[in-house]
Amino acid sequence: MASTQPAPDGTVPVATELLVRFRRLLGDDGVLAAEDELVVYECDGYVVEKKAPDVVLFPTTTEQVSEIVRTCNEFDVPFVPRGAGTSLAGGCLPVGGGVMISLTRMKSILEVNLQDRYAVVQPGLVNLHLTRHLAGTGFHYAPDPSSQGACTIGGNVATNSGGPHTLKYGVTVNHVLGLEVVMPDGQVVEFGGVAEGLAGYDLVGLFVGSEGTFGICTQVTVRLTRNPDAYRTLLGIFETVGDATQAISQIIAAGIVPAALEMMDQGIIEAVEAAYGFGFPLDAAAVVLIEVDGLEVAVDDEAERIIRLCREQGAREVRRAETEQQRALLWKCRKQAFGAIGRLSPSYCTQDGVVPRTKLPEILEFITDAGERHGVRIVNVFHAGDGNIHPILLFDERDEEQIARVFRASDEILGKCIDLGGSVTGEHGIGVEKLEFMERLFTEDDLDVMASVRMAFNPRGSCSPGKMLPTAGACGMEHIERSHPGKQAAS
Amino acid sequence: MPDNTGEMVPATIPELGRWLAANAKGDRRPVLPVGGRTSLGFGFPADPASVEVATSRLDRVVDYPARDMTVTVEAGCRMSAIQEALKMEGQRLPVDVPLAHRATIGGAVASDAGGPRRFGFGTLRDYVIGIRCATVDGRLFKAGGRVVKNVAGYDLCKLMVGSGGSLAFVTEVTLKLKPLPTSSAMGWACFDSGGTVSDLLGDLSTSRARPVAIELLGPKAARQLTAESRQTLPVGPLLLGVAVEGDPVEVEWQVDVLDRELRAGGAADVTWVRDADTKKLWSSLTDYQLGGESPVSIRACLRPSRTVDFVVAAIDAGVAVQAHAGNGVIHGHLPDETIDATTAEEMIGPLRELAVKSGGQLVVERCESGWHDALSIWGPPRGDWPLMTSVKRQFDPEGLLSPGRGIEAAMQQLSVDGMDQ
Repeated sequence: MASTQPAPDGTVPVATELLVRFRRLLGDDGVLAAEDELVVYECDGYVVEKKAPDVVLFPTTTEQVSEIVRTCNEFDVPFVPRGAGTSLAGGCLPVGGGVMISLTRMKSILEVNLQDRYAVVQPGLVNLHLTRHLAGTGFHYAPDPSSQGACTIGGNVATNSGGPHTLKYGVTVNHVLGLEVVMPDGQVVEFGGVAEGLAGYDLVGLFVGSEGTFGICTQVTVRLTRNPDAYRTLLGIFETVGDATQAISQIIAAGIVPAALEMMDQGIIEAVEAAYGFGFPLDAAAVVLIEVDGLEVAVDDEAERIIRLCREQGAREVRRAETEQQRALLWKCRKQAFGAIGRLSPSYCTQDGVVPRTKLPEILEFITDAGERHGVRIVNVFHAGDGNIHPILLFDERDEEQIARVFRASDEILGKCIDLGGSVTGEHGIGVEKLEFMERLFTEDDLDVMASVRMAFNPRGSCSPGKMLPTAGACGMEHIERSHPGKQAAS
Repeated sequence: MPDNTGEMVPATIPELGRWLAANAKGDRRPVLPVGGRTSLGFGFPADPASVEVATSRLDRVVDYPARDMTVTVEAGCRMSAIQEALKMEGQRLPVDVPLAHRATIGGAVASDAGGPRRFGFGTLRDYVIGIRCATVDGRLFKAGGRVVKNVAGYDLCKLMVGSGGSLAFVTEVTLKLKPLPTSSAMGWACFDSGGTVSDLLGDLSTSRARPVAIELLGPKAARQLTAESRQTLPVGPLLLGVAVEGDPVEVEWQVDVLDRELRAGGAADVTWVRDADTKKLWSSLTDYQLGGESPVSIRACLRPSRTVDFVVAAIDAGVAVQAHAGNGVIHGHLPDETIDATTAEEMIGPLRELAVKSGGQLVVERCESGWHDALSIWGPPRGDWPLMTSVKRQFDPEGLLSPGRGIEAAMQQLSVDGMDQ
């Protein structure tokens, strides 16, 4: 075996022999090991922590994934799967280096069965490509993260992704019927399948959202959803954030479950308007994007009820998207809002707290205060109907002192979410970013039970080490670095 | 402490925890969690040495913030009591649980109870957003929370739904809720041929109406439904029911659409039952799966498009059958004259094969005592069973919780069968 001298940061570089084996398995084209190429993989959408893997592999078949995993185990090297790297919580960060398994070349749609309402896809398939493929069939794949133009179905499975329309239709786990998984020991196992209600434990439900720590999914059977018969898309314009959040609370309390209920505050409206020119009023404190769907005979009534509730809460104006183009542009503004943030600041950090929906006014007030107290500019664009907030903290990553203030403000906001009976992540995952919050959300017994469940899947802890649970919880991981490597990189 | 019947009825969750901890350190008696006793006949029989630990006194509504559309209840709450409380706020849990006046939410979660509305609203796994449990050695743990969207930690809620009380003792559940519809209607039509129904179901899957339930019943099930509901339903070899819910405008519009579609699909007549009159139909359709006095009850799940083939084969084999046709979930009951397990297995065998071939499974949910060994309770093994047993071992390494009832018993039965051959 070639040299395995520890690198200065204490990690073990991948042995030359290992590289030879991987090249033989995948061809030169399937292996990235040059330092300048690895830089691309040193972080995902969470840019404040960075760590490059020792090698990135691009398998094209389940068998190759299985062989990679077996080889990693043989050499006692950790491995981590990666989709498109859109995680906002460091979900794909290769803590401690090792092998990164990129699933982006496994992107085929293997089967679409409209009669039985499912599709079988490979994990590297981009979310939006599935829905595009289904255009004209009357069906779609319901989970629609804002990053759906880039993120992969496999990544969605790992983080149990949500999206605007999950308010009515549920998150990823509600739409996954079956999985093919390469287990951390290299075995290929199928969970669930095309039939619903199989007897036994719901390993599909358990696997979804396990952030790559239970194995690598290589095939996903997803449920397809009927397109709505009709929809109406509204834009409520409010003078204060408080009025907007009250209106949202009133809509839910009135027993109306819209298809989507999204809020953007003035800070983000400004950026979005500059980027896409929808015609948002720049003097409004907040806008609420509301979509109702259902039967053509019912949607107008529901829209009217919502308009009335918005007006009662002091909405300045409620607009309707009159044409399909207007609706599409409105949704583009919402879903690509993050792309517009570059106009506001060089870097940003998106938080992902959740509160009971009636606590929205309280948490938004707190966010404003926290921003002022720490001198951090915060803008908001989020899934209001679910109580899932996304405060975006703006900063310049070259300024270490600013980063420290961003961390403090973030911590306070997420702490407040916990105090209000909520959670620190609604859809982005724990990743590495929120590990330290796990002990605030859960007791030692809770975490012990979770660790024991992981033991059933990943006893060596070599698959996605250092994720989800705050302690390693497995032996054989002594060589894995548990610090926050990225804080050095950001400084 | 357990009373002289051997039953333990803790008054509080901490008391349950202390008792389990003491048992694990002391006598190590097998423990059988018990709710409303509606699903205890499922699968393999319980170890007779088990202490039954009942949730009947753990019946508080812990928190019901109606405006958040969530509710947190203790495991021993009766389903009907929960639904009554939700109704006051115009809300509901849209999952049908058999014998709702007896069944508890803890038992419903453990047995993954469901019924006709699974087509429109999914199953309990879609509604349990938080859970608290006790491990067999008395540690209290939770997963999820009280907010509708939450990905912090592993989703042990999903793991507990359908776990049959074999991993941990469910003590408290937080549920996501839906608004209660103000109106409902069910349309019933009968058909002579499976082919006609199959085509019609295919067409219904693209109907502009959005039924919340699609039920297909064989003649025996249809007769029972008609008798129990005191409704005059059409009589024929195959009875198809479609249900819609919503506000009165939505319901009327859908009744119109579906009435036309059912007739175009070959129905000679369609009988519509509305609003309050549907109540007994819903409960009969939900309770039918329990099977009354039938010697053997089975449940199959398969690709929805294969439902009619399975239903026809079951009827031909003399099995009384009800299908949640939109989902491919089918309940069957063998006739009273099934004299022994061998006869039962002869009837079930070809149906099991059909279910497996159609991407699914057939399980024996209940059978006469003493028949378990001769019947293949869970059918042929699936690839994820060994992993399920690993999960079980992590929670319950000594096999004290609901021993012999779950996946490990199914694996054991297979290995015993294997040795026989």
